[in-house]
Amino acid sequence: MTAPFPNRPRADAREKVMGAARYGADHQVAGLLYAMQVPATIAKGRIASLSVDAAMQVPGVIRVLTATDFLPPPPATPGAPPPPATLTAYIAYRGQPVALVVAETLEAAIEGAEAIHPTYTTAPAFTSLIEQPGVVREAVKPVTAGDATRAMARAVTRHKADYVSPPQHHNPIEMLSTTAVWENGQLTIYESTQSSSNTKGAVMRNMRLTPEQVTVKSPQIGGGFGQRGGAQRQTALVARAAMLLGRPVKLVLPRGQIFHNATFRPMNRHRIEIGADASGKMIAVRYDADQQQSREGQFPPDYHESVPMLYGIENYHGTAANLRIDTQAPGYMRSPTPHPSCFAFESAVDELALKLGVDPVAFRLRHRATTDPIHGQKLSSCYLSECLTEGARRFGWERRSLQPGSMTLPDGTQVGWGVASGAYPGSAHPNIVTLRVNADGTTRFAAAGHEMGQGIRSTIEQVLVRELAIDPLKLEIAIGDTSVAPQHTTAGSWGTASVVPAAAEAAAKLNAAMAELLAGRQVAGNLHRQLATVRRPSLQVEVEHVAVDQGPKDLATLRKGGMALVGPDYSTFTTYSYIAHFVEVHVEPGTRRVRVPRVVSIADCGRVISPRTAESQVRGGVIWGIGAALREATEVDPRYGGWLNNDLADYVVPVNADIGSIDVGFIDRPDPLINALGAKGLGEVAMTGCAGAIANAIHHATGKRLREMPFRIEDLL
Amino acid sequence: MRPFTYARPESAVAAVQAFTAAGAGARYIAGGTSLYDLMKLDIEKPQHLIDVTAIRGLDGIETNGERLRFEALAPMSAVATDKVVLRDYPVLAEALWKAASQQLRNMATVGGNLLQRTRCLYFRNGAGGTSVGNTYPCNKREPGSGCAAIGGLDRGQAVLGQSPSCTAVSPGDWPVSLVALDAYVEVLGASGTRSIPIAELYRLPGSTPNLEFTLQPGEMITAIVVPKTKAGRHSTYHKIRDRESYAFALASAAVALEMDGDTVTRARIALGGVATKPWRATAAEALLAGKPLTPATALAAGRAAFADAKAGKQNGFKIELGARTVADALTIAAARNRS
Repeated sequence: MTAPFPNRPRADAREKVMGAARYGADHQVAGLLYAMQVPATIAKGRIASLSVDAAMQVPGVIRVLTATDFLPPPPATPGAPPPPATLTAYIAYRGQPVALVVAETLEAAIEGAEAIHPTYTTAPAFTSLIEQPGVVREAVKPVTAGDATRAMARAVTRHKADYVSPPQHHNPIEMLSTTAVWENGQLTIYESTQSSSNTKGAVMRNMRLTPEQVTVKSPQIGGGFGQRGGAQRQTALVARAAMLLGRPVKLVLPRGQIFHNATFRPMNRHRIEIGADASGKMIAVRYDADQQQSREGQFPPDYHESVPMLYGIENYHGTAANLRIDTQAPGYMRSPTPHPSCFAFESAVDELALKLGVDPVAFRLRHRATTDPIHGQKLSSCYLSECLTEGARRFGWERRSLQPGSMTLPDGTQVGWGVASGAYPGSAHPNIVTLRVNADGTTRFAAAGHEMGQGIRSTIEQVLVRELAIDPLKLEIAIGDTSVAPQHTTAGSWGTASVVPAAAEAAAKLNAAMAELLAGRQVAGNLHRQLATVRRPSLQVEVEHVAVDQGPKDLATLRKGGMALVGPDYSTFTTYSYIAHFVEVHVEPGTRRVRVPRVVSIADCGRVISPRTAESQVRGGVIWGIGAALREATEVDPRYGGWLNNDLADYVVPVNADIGSIDVGFIDRPDPLINALGAKGLGEVAMTGCAGAIANAIHHATGKRLREMPFRIEDLL
Repeated sequence: MRPFTYARPESAVAAVQAFTAAGAGARYIAGGTSLYDLMKLDIEKPQHLIDVTAIRGLDGIETNGERLRFEALAPMSAVATDKVVLRDYPVLAEALWKAASQQLRNMATVGGNLLQRTRCLYFRNGAGGTSVGNTYPCNKREPGSGCAAIGGLDRGQAVLGQSPSCTAVSPGDWPVSLVALDAYVEVLGASGTRSIPIAELYRLPGSTPNLEFTLQPGEMITAIVVPKTKAGRHSTYHKIRDRESYAFALASAAVALEMDGDTVTRARIALGGVATKPWRATAAEALLAGKPLTPATALAAGRAAFADAKAGKQNGFKIELGARTVADALTIAAARNRS
């Protein structure tokens, strides 16, 4: 295992501060055309007629693409989800694109789009809320360990309650966009995506192109959060327009269209029962979860991933179901299912601890997890107890009084201290990387991975700069581009753990190659100088890195642009990252505003590769937790479908003034089994449990238990 | 996105002439922080824009005489940081700096701010523009089409002053503070100048919610005049919202007190975020007159302010929240009275 890493600046900090970083829509192309989608204004039905005449009258409009301009859906590929639909006459949700207007200017494209008013045959009824008629319930396989029913029967103390998390949208600041260039039979897509490989595959299949014909470039992303993890519907529309017109085309989706077409976190509900034995230890969990789902959607209701890994409770029975209604497809949003499940479960644990009259930190420390009860194997590492202990120390938890409503300021402000834990699966993906050191002082590292602000370039730079005598200022890290290396979907906190071991292997291989080249000669200077001295312009190595349990089959899948993910339950162990959050809330006596003046969060992500960006990841996750607990919800008027508060003024995310001090700490102990560096994931686990800690702190402040997010002023008046 | 003509006259008289000549479909534009937004949403569809920002000598801030006079083109940020306003009229300064963001306050003018339109979600997000894509009936946008907010998601809607046609909240902060201080506006039109008490600038929705202001076509606000009052020093604008900054009010209160010791001799109270126009709470003012300000009388005044309030499905909390907002505002203002 390696030593701790130093606190280096973010690899692209200067570029970003100077405004020089180039994102998807920043790519400039000569002869560019601009596109705008026309959104459907019904919630369900079919287009009866669509006239493009008025739009074509708008000066500057060149073409309007409609459903007839697209090939039928491609044949199914086994094991791969179908690419997103293009334009279809069938309308499955409000806001679905019905046409794409292409024009010489953005203004003309918008004016053209506003001139298109299709007529529709509306469906007799539609379902836009899970409480309405027309819902199709579809259970998935339960997750079980031991015998929860029998264990619950012998439990001495039980707690049972329902918890709810609303629909939410990611809202990265960078809008969804696509720029497509079709030239000499080659299609190049410039698009901020977390999955250039997915995007390439979807466009390829929709357009019937070969892999050699399509390149997707996504070097910098202005926030991913899962919204950009799958192929987007608009990509093929823009690509088709570029191919039909023989000119490059750009589309930037307006925020309201993103709300209606991007994926989102579906509404989800949790009924949880926990039983404790006479010694006050949790022995049984029965947990039923369900979630909003679209008619065809595939986002799995995996609400039983993280919770069983927190406390090693031996008897667990978890059910989950999709509730299919008429909406666009939901999808992965930061800490996708573990955020709501940890909110719900950690609220329930708090309620049970209170029922037992036990301090909630002490209660959690009674349950140290060493095994994965679901798969019956060891956890490769779990330092949750250390997170709780260190967090409690930094927070000053020993000064907390147990009784809710017992801590107040002189002006009557109620003070509450809450704690909650979180966990997130540790997965990994193979990576085929190329490392080239040049005599001219430059170095280039090409790999699978996408930079969405999380700091993947910084983690790669940390490893290369430590292992290689190179000039860090002339290090190019080429990622997010299907032409530099086979790409994967960078999500689920597997990005760093899938690339830094490969970078370390490549560095070792290059050092070995250099030693071989020098054949025992002593040559002064760094690798660049050494190469110059021996008159070699460059030295290049390639590494095919596979994760635990993986082999050539997985490399072949990666080469084809597919996902070759492994974990968190490997053949002989299970890997999770952990976090403990400690939150202080202040509840105003009169108008009941909730403030969060301070948070302490301690994470176990194995070895921390880049302390600077890791801390930033955790702060971001905590802010997401504050947003989720106190503010964010996308609202549906069931008479209309779609989303009512579809802009950043009315979908309320926290602002700087809402955020107090966030003290971040790490256990920073390498996981012994997951990879050579001992690095687990961090970006997702950062958010898990935070909302639960806020709910628990509000209860401690006020004595009022809030079980449905977001908690707003009206819930405490 | 629709074509429009654009003129940039250099005097107020020329602006009014340009507007009159342009006829229907003309709009004045100053900072553009509201109009451009509404154009993107396909709500405002001006055919002629008369840009008034080239008019000279219409952005003055006068605080020396018997009254405060803010010319219409003064930026919100300039009035919010004026030394006299900050010292003697915190209610005005706070109403300005608790609105929008610094960037918007640098662009937006104190005159244009008075004519800001509602943030009702069904009004804003239902015009069918491609940026949002929704279509909702709205009597304010399309007279006679109905009101989607009634029977819909109404958490943000008004509890005071609503009609069977419209429940949209008057969104501003600045107008609420001006209503509390009995300000008036100076207006220039084709037939000359006139003054309008600020409270009379705003209409109740009634059966014509599309008519929001009492300005005649072509009339332009040129200045805001606030009679000086000792109560200004003992004033506050208290704004409660879903986050600490950059949001419209769920409930707000502009309060200015004249006090004799702990006894309120005269209270001025206006409400924002809860009513269909900037709302003067006269019953609450009357209740307090001659009484000591205690937590009990403050809350009683707050409750009196909402005695006539009517809740919808989700906005009932605004009645209690509004009452407590008034009570807290009175307490804050009274504390300033003692300092």
